[in-house]
Amino acid sequence: MKALLYKQLRLVCHPMTIVFCLSGIMVIIPNYPYTVIFFYVTLGLFFSFLNAREQKDLYYTALLPVPKRDAVRAGCLFTALTELLSLAVLALCCLLSARLQPGKDNLVGLDPNLALLAAGFLLYALFNIVFLPSFYKNGYKVGVAFFKAAVPMALLMLALEILPHIPALSWLDDMDAAAQPRLIPALAASIAVYIIGMLLSFRMSAAAYERVDL
Amino acid sequence: MNILEVKGLTKRYPAFTLNGVSFAVPEGAVMGFIGRNGAGKSTTLKSILGMVHPDAGKVKVFGMDYAANERAIRRELGVVLGGVDFYPKKKIRVITDVTRRFYDNWDEDKYRHYLRLFAIDEEKRVDQLSSGMKVKYMIAIALSHNARLLILDEPTSGLDPVSRDELTELLRRLAADGDRSVLFSTHITSDLEKCATHIAFIKDGELQYTGSLGDFRAHYKGVGATLEDIIVHVERRPLDEGAII
Repeated sequence: MKALLYKQLRLVCHPMTIVFCLSGIMVIIPNYPYTVIFFYVTLGLFFSFLNAREQKDLYYTALLPVPKRDAVRAGCLFTALTELLSLAVLALCCLLSARLQPGKDNLVGLDPNLALLAAGFLLYALFNIVFLPSFYKNGYKVGVAFFKAAVPMALLMLALEILPHIPALSWLDDMDAAAQPRLIPALAASIAVYIIGMLLSFRMSAAAYERVDL
Repeated sequence: MNILEVKGLTKRYPAFTLNGVSFAVPEGAVMGFIGRNGAGKSTTLKSILGMVHPDAGKVKVFGMDYAANERAIRRELGVVLGGVDFYPKKKIRVITDVTRRFYDNWDEDKYRHYLRLFAIDEEKRVDQLSSGMKVKYMIAIALSHNARLLILDEPTSGLDPVSRDELTELLRRLAADGDRSVLFSTHITSDLEKCATHIAFIKDGELQYTGSLGDFRAHYKGVGATLEDIIVHVERRPLDEGAII
C-alpha cells in the first residue's frame, strides 16, 4: 500500500490539488460563504483524477503486481489524505482568523469555527460517496462523476450556510473560545460520518471497479 | 512442466466470443500467439491477466490458480502490452522509481545492465523514446524483477525491421536458458520464424491449433512454406465478386 500511495503522490497528484488544499486561507475574507473552500478542494481532486485518466494511470496500475481492489484503495487513500490535509490547513487558518480578526461575524453563513470544520467532514463524506463509486464504475468518466457529486454537495453547502441564520441554531456561529466545546459533539459526529462514508465509498468503488473490463 | 496453462477460456461480447481457448506454455518456450487483427489475441491475454473478466475458464501460472494467487504470481510475471503509453511527460527515471517499489525482488544491477544494453537514457521523457525503445524499456522492467514468464501483446507492431529483429533475438536468448518463458502475441508472423519454439493459432475467437513450431508446420503441411503462407491460406476470405471496388 505504501508503494501505491507513493505512486499516487509522485505520478497522479496534480499540482492544482495541492494549491486547492491551501484554500483554507480564504477564511480571512470578510463575509464569504466559507463552505466554498471544500468545493475548491474537491475541484483539486477532480484535477488529479482527470490527470490519472489522461495519463492512463489505471492501465499502468493494471500492469503492476497489485489486485484491482488495491488500485481503488490507493485512490480512496489519496482522496482522504488530500481532504484531511485541507482540513488541517483550514483549522490553522481558523485560528489565524480568530487572532487577526477578533469579533469577526460572517454575515453570509458559517463562521470560521469548529462548526465549519464539521461542515467540511460532512461535505467531503457526501462528495466521496457519490464521486468515487461513480468514477470507478468505468474508470474514465471523471467529469460525469464530478458533476454527479458536485450537485448534491452544492445543495448541502447551501443548507449548511443557512443553518446559523435559524435563530435556534445561531450558536453554530459562536466564535468565542469558551463556546467552542458546545460544537465538539457536532464535530465528532461529522468525523464519524466521514469515516463511515469513506469506508462505504471504498467498498462500493472496489465492487464497481472489479466488474470493469480494461 | 507447463509454466502457463489456459483451459476453456471464454468471454462473450455482443459482437465477439472468445470460445473455450485452451493452450499451455512449457518452461523455456517462446510461444507465438498468432491470428489476424480481431481474432481474440488481446482478449485472451487480458483474460489471463484478469484485466478482462472471462465468463468461463481456468488459468494456472507456475502451477498455481491465477485468481487465488494473483499477487504472488504477478511479482514473477512481466507484462508488456505494447510500449509505454502512460505518463508520456514523466522521465523514465521517475517511472522506474515508482515501479521498482512494487517488487521485493527488484534487482537494481540487472536494471542498470539492461539500460546499458538497450541504450536507454533514464533522463529522457517517455514521449522522447521511439516505439522500439518503449518496448525495450518495458522488457527491461520485466527482467529487472526476475520475471519467469513474459507476456507480450503485439510488441513488434509499429517497429522498424531492425528493431523487430533485435527484439525477436532478445526473446529467443531470454528463453534459451530454460528458466524463463515467453508468450508473445503478434500478427507479424515472420517475427516468429526467428524466435518461436511453440505456436498457438487463434481464429475468430477459437483456437485452431497449438503445439511446437515443428508440429504446427507438419499439421499445415502442403498449405505453405512459411507461417505467413499458412495463416494467409487459413484466414483468407474470398472477395465478394459483386463488391464495388
